[in-house]
Amino acid sequence: MIGSANLSAWFPEWGSTHAPDVDVPFFDIYVVTVTILILTVGLAVVFTRTFTRKEGDPEQMPAVGTNKILLGLGVVGAIALAGFAFQTGLSGFVGQRVAPYGAFEVSVTAREGVWDFTYPDGHVADTLRVAVGQPVHLTMTSQDISQNMSIPDLRVNQTIMPGHTTEAWFETIRPGTFPIRTGAFSAATYDSMTSVVVSLPAEEFAAWQAAVGDIFAGRTMAEVGELLYNQQGCKACHSLDGSNLVGPSLKNVYGFEFLTTTGETVLADDAYIKESILTPNASVIAEYQPVMTPYAGILGDQEIQAITEFLKTISDRGHTGGQEDK
Amino acid sequence: MHNVSQSAAEQVRRSFLGGPDGVSEWFQSLDHKRISLMFLAWTAGAFLLAMILAIMPLVKAVGGRGLSAQLLFETLTYQRLLHVVAWLVPAIPGIIGFFLLPLQIGASNMAFPTLSRCSLRFYVVGLVLMLGSLATYPVGSGWTLDTHLSLLDPGAFGVLMVGLFFMGLSWFLTGVNFIVTVHHKRREGMGFFDMPLTAWGLYLYSYLLVLSGLIFGIIALYMAASWVTTEGLFGWKSDPMAWRSYFWFAIRPVTYFAMIPAVGIVSDVISGVSRKASTGYRTMVGAMIALTGIAVASYGVSLVGQGLSPAGTLIFSALSLLAAVPVAIIAITWLSTLYRSSISCSSANVFCNAFILHGGIASLLGLFLASPAVGAFLGASMFASAQLDYIIWGGVSSALMAGLHYWWPKMMGRKYSDDVARIGAVLYVVGLNLALVPRLIMGTKGVPQDLAGLVDSSLRLAEVSSFGWLCVYFGLAVIAGNLLVTIWGDEAAEENPWGATTLEWTVPSPPPEDNFS
Ligand code: HEC
Repeated sequence: MIGSANLSAWFPEWGSTHAPDVDVPFFDIYVVTVTILILTVGLAVVFTRTFTRKEGDPEQMPAVGTNKILLGLGVVGAIALAGFAFQTGLSGFVGQRVAPYGAFEVSVTAREGVWDFTYPDGHVADTLRVAVGQPVHLTMTSQDISQNMSIPDLRVNQTIMPGHTTEAWFETIRPGTFPIRTGAFSAATYDSMTSVVVSLPAEEFAAWQAAVGDIFAGRTMAEVGELLYNQQGCKACHSLDGSNLVGPSLKNVYGFEFLTTTGETVLADDAYIKESILTPNASVIAEYQPVMTPYAGILGDQEIQAITEFLKTISDRGHTGGQEDK
Repeated sequence: MHNVSQSAAEQVRRSFLGGPDGVSEWFQSLDHKRISLMFLAWTAGAFLLAMILAIMPLVKAVGGRGLSAQLLFETLTYQRLLHVVAWLVPAIPGIIGFFLLPLQIGASNMAFPTLSRCSLRFYVVGLVLMLGSLATYPVGSGWTLDTHLSLLDPGAFGVLMVGLFFMGLSWFLTGVNFIVTVHHKRREGMGFFDMPLTAWGLYLYSYLLVLSGLIFGIIALYMAASWVTTEGLFGWKSDPMAWRSYFWFAIRPVTYFAMIPAVGIVSDVISGVSRKASTGYRTMVGAMIALTGIAVASYGVSLVGQGLSPAGTLIFSALSLLAAVPVAIIAITWLSTLYRSSISCSSANVFCNAFILHGGIASLLGLFLASPAVGAFLGASMFASAQLDYIIWGGVSSALMAGLHYWWPKMMGRKYSDDVARIGAVLYVVGLNLALVPRLIMGTKGVPQDLAGLVDSSLRLAEVSSFGWLCVYFGLAVIAGNLLVTIWGDEAAEENPWGATTLEWTVPSPPPEDNFS
C-alpha cells in the first residue's frame, strides 16, 4: 500500500495502553481511504486523458443515464465504509471513557498556564507523576478558561472547562516524560506545553511517593504547619494578615483570649486549638457562624501539633501565652 | 474597460461592462453581474490579506525569532476568521452565484436587486469593521472566539463582533435573494429539474446561508454584549459549551458544506468541457439535497474532542458519516459523465480534477474524525484544522477556479492563456498537498489545532509545509495574474467556446445589461 512504509511517520511512539485504540483504527481507515482516493482521482485523470475530443466527435455526446448497478454498489460501499469507520473506533472510544476499578485517583485543577495535580494523599504538584503499568484516573476542572488536556504520547485528549468536571484515564506502558498540551490561545501556554506527565518505574514511583508523602522529612514543625495551612484549605477561610474572612484571621490567635457564642471566654492554647480543628463546633467564636469543616479523621496529632507550632510563629504571644497556663 | 470590441450586436445592446464606469456608478449598481465582479474584488482582497497574515505563523514555524506570542495569536485569529467569514462562505455565492444564477435560469436580474446591493454593502461594512479592529486593537483569542478566553481579551473585541454580525447579515440576505430568485424568476417553462446543477447547488446552499447568517449574526451581537458586560448568555458565568454549540451550529453548515455549491459548479464544468449532459442529473440533485440536510444535522461533530459528551460524540459521528453516501454518489456520477465523453482538455479540467482530489481528501478525512476513538483524540488537533484547510484552500478554491476558468470568457468576454493557467494549477495542487499533508502528520503528533508550527519536534515537517505554501502562493499569483491581464488585453472570446447547452451561453459575451430580452 502506498505510504504504508511511512506509517511510522504518523503519531508519537506508543506510551499508553490507549495507543492501539487510536492508532489501529486510524491505520485501518488510512489504508482504505488512500485506496479509494487513488482509485477515484486516478480514474478521473485517466478518463480526461483518454476521452479527449477527437475529429468527428458530435457537437454533443449522447447523454446516458446512470448505471443503476454501479450506483447501487457505490451506495452499499459507502454505507459499508461508514459503518466500518464507526465500528473500528468504537470499542477503543468506550474503553477510554471507563476507568478501571481501583485506578490511582488524581484530581486536576487548571488555570491559565497552571496545573494543580492533587494526589490521593493530599499532596499537590504541578507535574503529574505516575507509575508504569498503573491505571490513573483524572478528574478535571478549570478555574478560568477552557483548554484541553492533551497528552499525545498517551493518546489522551480531554477538554477542561470551568463549571464542568471531566474525566480521563490512562495506563502508561513505558517510563518517560510526556508533554501535556492545551491548545488554548493564551500567552501563558505559548509553547502550548505547560506541564508534563512523568512516568516512573513502579519502585521509583513508590520511593518518590514515600518521600513527598512524608511531609515532615526535611521540614521544621512550623514549616509543616504552614504547608498544611496551604494544602488543607484553611487559607480559604483564614487569612494570616489579621483580616477576617469567613473565619477569624489566624494571626494573633495562639495565646489570646476569645469570647464564644455562649458568652464564655476561652484561651487559645494547644488544647483549645486542637479542639477548634477537630471539632470546631464544640465552641464557636462570637460573631462567626459554625461553618468550619471538622478535621477529625483528616489531621492526626502530629499534624495538629505542626499547625499549632505554625500558629505560634505568627502570634505575638507565641512564646508567652498559653504555654505557662498549661 | 469600456473599449469592448465593437461588434454589430453589441452596438445595439451594450455589455454590462460598457456602461458608465465611475466608482460611484459601480457602487450604486443594481446589476447582478457588476455586483458579482465587485464581490470578486472584495473577497479576493480578503483572501489575499488572509494569505499575507498566514505568512507570519509560517515564519515562526521555521524558527523565526522575535515574534511575540500575542502577535502570533492575533495573526492566527484574523487569518482564519478572514478566510472563513470573508472568503470561504461568501466567495461562491458572491462571485459565481450573483453572476450566474439569473443567467442560468433565464432571468434579467435577481429577484431583489436592492438586496443584492445590500449584501455587498453589508459585506464591505463587516470587512471594514473586522479590519478596523485588526488595525487598532487586534483580538487574539482564536477564530472560534471561545467564551472565557474572549472575555479576557484586551482587543477591540466588540468591534470585531459587530463586524461579524454584518457578515452574517450579508449571508442571510444573499440566501433570501437567491431562494426567491429561483422560485420566481425562472424563465417560462423551466421547471426546478431543468435548472443547471450550479443553480441547484446555489439554491440549496442558500438555505444554509439563511440559517447560519441569521444565527451567526445574532450570537455575534450577544457575544459582543457579553464582552462589554461580562454577563449574559455568553458571560463569565456561562457554560463554555453554550458558545461552542451555538457557534458550530451556525458555522459548521456554511463552512464545511460550502462544498455543496462547489459540487454544483464542478458538475456543470465537467459536463460543459466534456460535451455531455450530466449523467444522473436527478440522482445528483438528490445527493446535494441529502448533503444539505446532513450539513445541519451533523454540526456537533465539530465539538468532538472539544468538550462534547461521549453520547453526543457517538451520535454526531454517526450522523456525519451519513455523508459518505451522497459523496460516493457524486463521485460515481462524475466519473460516469467523463466516461466516453468528448473532453476539450483545458485548465478548467485540471481544476475539476483538483477538486476531486481535494474535495475527496476533505471528505475522507471526515471518516477519521467520525471514527469515535480517533476523532476524540484528533478532534482538537492540527489534523482537524488541516481538514478545514483542505476545504478552504482545496475544495472550494479549486471549484471556484474551475468555475472562473470555465465562465471567464462569458463574464469578461476575454480569452485567457490556457497554458499559463495550467502551470499555475499544477503549482497550486502540488504545493497545497505538500503544505497540508505535513500538517495532518503534525496533528497526529499532537500539535494543537490552529497553533501552526509551534512544536519544535515537527520542525522538519514545518519546513516542508512552508515550502508547499510557497508553491501555493506562487501558483495562485500565476493563476490570478493570467486572468487579470485579460481585462486590459483585447483578445475577444467566442460566445460559446465549450459548445455548452445551458442558457448562460446563449447571450453575448460579456452579457448585455438586461441579459436576455
Ligand atoms: C469553611 C471555612 C473554614 C475552614 C476551611 C477552616 N476554618 Fe477554622 N474557623 C472557621 C470559622 C467560621 C471559625 C470561627 C467559628 C468557630 O470557632 O467554629 C473558625 C475557627 C478556627 C479556630 C479558632 C480561632 C479563634 O479565634 O479561636 C482555629 C484555630 C481554626 N479555625 C483553625 C483552622 C485550621 C487550622 C483550618 C485548616 C486545617 C481551618 N481552621 C479551616 C472557618 C473555617
